Amino acid sequence: MSVLPPFDLVRPANLAEALSAVADGATPYAGGTELLLAMRAGLLRPAALVDLKTLPELSGVSLVDDHVRIGATVTHRQARTAPEGAHIPQLSNVLGRVGNPRVRAVGTLVGNLCFAEPKSDVATLLAALDARVELASTSGGRTLRLREFLLGPYTTARSDDELVRAILIPVRSGRLAAYGKFQTMERPTVSVAAVKEADGTTRIAVGAVGPVPQVFEFPPGERPDCDGIACEVEVTPDFTGGDAFKRHITRHIASSTLSDLGTRS
Amino acid sequence: MSTVTIDTFVNGQRVTRQVAPRMTLAEFLRDDLGLTGTKVSCEMQVCGACTVLIDDMPVSACTYLAADADSRRITTVEGLAHGDELHPIQAAFVENFAIQCGFCTPGFVMMTAALLAENPAPTAEEVAEYMDGNICRCTGYKPILSAVLDAAERLRGTE
Amino acid sequence: MIPQRAGSSVYRVDGKDKVTGAARYAIDIKVPGMLHGHVVRSTRAHAKIVSIDVEEALSRPGVAAVVTGNDLTGLFPRFGHIIADHPILALDRVRYYGEPVALVVARTPYEAADAADDVRVHYEDLPVVITPEEALADGAPLLHETSYDSGDRSFAEARSEVGARTNVAHMAVLEWGDVEAGLREAAVVVESTVQFPMHYAYAMEPYNAIASFDNGMLEVISTAQHPFQVRDDLARIFSLPLNSVRVRSPLIGGGYGSKSYTKVEPLAAVAAWATGRPVRVALDVEGSIHTTRADSATIHVRSGFDADGRILAREFDILFNTGAYADNGPLVLTKCVHRCFGPYRIPNLRVRGRAVYTNTVPSSSYRGFGAPQGSFAGETNLDRAADILGIDPAQLRRINLVRPGEKHIPKRRGMDADLVADLDIVTSKLGWRNKPTAGRGIGFACSASDAGAFPLSTATVRILADGSVLVLTGSTEMGQGSKTALAQIAATELGVPLEKVQVVQSDTATTPYERTTGASRTTTLTGLAVQRACCDALSKMEEIAADVSGCRIEEVKTAEGVVAGPDFEYRFDQLVAEWFGGRQGEIVGHGVVRRAGDLEELPPFWEIGMVGVEVAVDEETGLVNVEHLVTVGDVGYAINPSLVEGQDLGAATQGLGGALFEQLIYDGPQLVNPNVVDYRVPRMKDMPRRISSVIVERQDGVGPYGAKGGGEGSLNPIAAAVAAAVARATGVWPDRLPLTAETVWGLIRADRQLPSDTNEVDDA
Repeated sequence: MSVLPPFDLVRPANLAEALSAVADGATPYAGGTELLLAMRAGLLRPAALVDLKTLPELSGVSLVDDHVRIGATVTHRQARTAPEGAHIPQLSNVLGRVGNPRVRAVGTLVGNLCFAEPKSDVATLLAALDARVELASTSGGRTLRLREFLLGPYTTARSDDELVRAILIPVRSGRLAAYGKFQTMERPTVSVAAVKEADGTTRIAVGAVGPVPQVFEFPPGERPDCDGIACEVEVTPDFTGGDAFKRHITRHIASSTLSDLGTRS
Repeated sequence: MSTVTIDTFVNGQRVTRQVAPRMTLAEFLRDDLGLTGTKVSCEMQVCGACTVLIDDMPVSACTYLAADADSRRITTVEGLAHGDELHPIQAAFVENFAIQCGFCTPGFVMMTAALLAENPAPTAEEVAEYMDGNICRCTGYKPILSAVLDAAERLRGTE
Repeated sequence: MIPQRAGSSVYRVDGKDKVTGAARYAIDIKVPGMLHGHVVRSTRAHAKIVSIDVEEALSRPGVAAVVTGNDLTGLFPRFGHIIADHPILALDRVRYYGEPVALVVARTPYEAADAADDVRVHYEDLPVVITPEEALADGAPLLHETSYDSGDRSFAEARSEVGARTNVAHMAVLEWGDVEAGLREAAVVVESTVQFPMHYAYAMEPYNAIASFDNGMLEVISTAQHPFQVRDDLARIFSLPLNSVRVRSPLIGGGYGSKSYTKVEPLAAVAAWATGRPVRVALDVEGSIHTTRADSATIHVRSGFDADGRILAREFDILFNTGAYADNGPLVLTKCVHRCFGPYRIPNLRVRGRAVYTNTVPSSSYRGFGAPQGSFAGETNLDRAADILGIDPAQLRRINLVRPGEKHIPKRRGMDADLVADLDIVTSKLGWRNKPTAGRGIGFACSASDAGAFPLSTATVRILADGSVLVLTGSTEMGQGSKTALAQIAATELGVPLEKVQVVQSDTATTPYERTTGASRTTTLTGLAVQRACCDALSKMEEIAADVSGCRIEEVKTAEGVVAGPDFEYRFDQLVAEWFGGRQGEIVGHGVVRRAGDLEELPPFWEIGMVGVEVAVDEETGLVNVEHLVTVGDVGYAINPSLVEGQDLGAATQGLGGALFEQLIYDGPQLVNPNVVDYRVPRMKDMPRRISSVIVERQDGVGPYGAKGGGEGSLNPIAAAVAAAVARATGVWPDRLPLTAETVWGLIRADRQLPSDTNEVDDA
């Protein structure tokens, strides 16, 4: 049996206290499903954690200005069953396949994005859906597109004094989405989220295969080129597959996911 | 490092303690409360041996802070049977030969409780999908699948 | 047979405890005042230890001691039942990444872990060898410069001369006839080489042990499958007589051979010795992976056949990567040498096997014990020969399989199974026709293992004053069902209900000697010991009955728990009361199994592996799905059919894991995937769509009621069956495992001569 390293735990009474703790160097957490593993493995040693679950401002799924807003402490399980989630195609499907039921009961979408695991299903779908993240700190707030937020493996644009308070997913009428993946190990080898907007734009996010979800956009009228995607995508070879295999599977999954998308029209 | 207070219900009994932030729920249950039925194996949330229910939801106790159990209701495998009488899920596991070394068993039993609370009549595919996050190294899974389906029938009273 | 006794599928006697959480494993046990040990592991694969700084760690809160190899003066600092080459803590050097170099002992696991960060080890790197080829190359560094000796006669078979000057830990050769002549005569010679990867048993309870010294007695509670073997190693370490070392194993959370022999017990024991307090050492899964793995192998095969498909000669060259220390590696290698060629009539044979030391995690026993490696080589070679000869692979086997009673290894027991009949069951269940279908394939394979380890078991049966029965056995319960099966045998022999029997196990101070629990031996050999103990108890009761009633012993008979004579009847409790004058006392029987009589011939029994699979292969992705799994458990007599089925499916599942997913991977000096996220074991969704589990009972074994052992048979040939099935689905013969999607995809690409890069695309 191994143990977690020592740390202090802050239970903030309100958001201002939480932001203050973060500004002082505490690491925000909600489910901890990724964070605690990294801590146990000795990869991260925060001196303090600040528990965001006590803050109602950071909870809940709501519909705001044509966006579905998912608070920082919303778990995969909660988001999946929230009525507002029905506005986002494939959200329920993807959230229902993250990890296992225990991870889904405790882990949060925001936490998943903040950890920036390259093989995240959630990040792949949200990248294709043009999602954004809302950050907050004691000196104010800002919003970033997901592709500006996810910078590399386990690396995001969040500074140490910020926390992510919500995810914003645009609700667009006439939008269709499909999701596919190839998975033989604990995490997917390749995942593909394909989104077709009402105006005919197709956006394909390829996840798991490289350092971050990689987005390919095709204007209305242009047929998405799966061969091209497979050629251009950045691949991180590892023991779930070498370069050639991963490109091949990328093409295969992209192609079948696009077919799925096609059958939704 | 300072401690935090937790006020929680474990198998229906109120428990109030001061715990170190670093203590996991599994450590708290096993070492502090002596409830050793919950096992620790992979410590990466993928084997399910440490599954407990928190407010009826399945959770990996090895990767959950004891501190986060504050104000929550926890059920462990010790909380299922009524005295000497096995819970129908437990009886189904015994009678379907779904146990060998038994180290994964409490985890599977608790996952079954969580599944059947959500979905009282799962198909075999639904059971396999739900249980895909639990490892058994001994049985080859078939008798566990039978036990879960049998337990569902017993709980629905359709035996 | 009466229900609740031998022959029926009674519920496991430990089932209720296991489903309620009441079952106690070593990790659940607490000893008052217990300290906690945290292992500090080497970050080098091969290096001299220049110094270890422990001062800072010692000054941390709660720390009672930091033990290193320097602190073991006065002790015999190594263990190892065949070759005592394994330091308790690294002495002058480390030989693999992850080797224990220090043990921090503190009041809580937290304090021990925190202080462990402050232990600083200074190394001087030595050249590293990871593969056997590297370790055998000219100029390779020697891992072990001295030769060791364990002085245990029962392991004479496994020791060799070669250890001293090369990195060959052990070599074994088996030969008869003239292989070169046989190959010259052959119409067809088929040559193949296969690679078998490193596996990890993943017993879900990681290794752990609690040790304490009490009035000169060393007491240990651990996950040991063989408490008596561990006792012997500990006695040697501390120069204690055997009666002053007590090793107990409670229920074990999985073993599969990986908990055979000594593991973390010496660490806990030296910590207890250094601090004067009880100490627990509990590893996590990563630590367990760095303790013991299974042997990887490269095996080269050459087989010669006449035009009708009869085997004329077989030749095998086996190279095992046995890691930094021998553990049980030499015996696994020896068994592979005896199992690789299969249960066939082979007029000329030559097998050479070498287990080579490398700077990797030590390998040791794992289910199958050399047979999975050997069968993968031998059976795929046979299937390829069938292709070339144009003979149906089932027919090729039928022609060559030995018949019941026939010896396939000189001076060994004749075959105690009807292999052809078993094969016919497999092929018929699979619907085998020698007809290729694109994307689908059927494969089957056979094996026979000289199992049972050594015929040495003892048991004691105590008839108590109320007529209830205690069966004492040194065997362990790790899920295979020994507690239940032995209770069933005793209940049957004594003629009492199962509920009247309690089996107490695995305590070297209070249960009688059991050499080992493994090698599929317990039901057969310990079962015989229990039978003999019951017989002894019954015969004592009959003598007592004759004595108290004044009749002749020939007039006394026992049946259904009643000892009866011409004019009397005693239940067991009544007889005890009669003999001891009241509700007190007990009558004790003892049974001993030795290599004598029926058990003179080795092996005690042949463990048969007879399995087949039908697979579907997706050519686009290389993904292999097992559509149908067939296993035949040729066990002679099933004491408990549900236990046999459970063992067969469990073994087959581990084997499928090894065939399709599992491999430990080294990248340079260290393991890339020492955890069960990245080491992929089978899950519920991997279950074959259809499973046909057949038990065959021909009462042809030496065990109770004609029983033979089971539990490994269905694993041994399964990788070969899967490889054959994949070959028939794709037209390409795999020569390595695991058959991951990428591997199969690559094989198909290479065969179809398709480019394996993205240039395959056409200009769309």
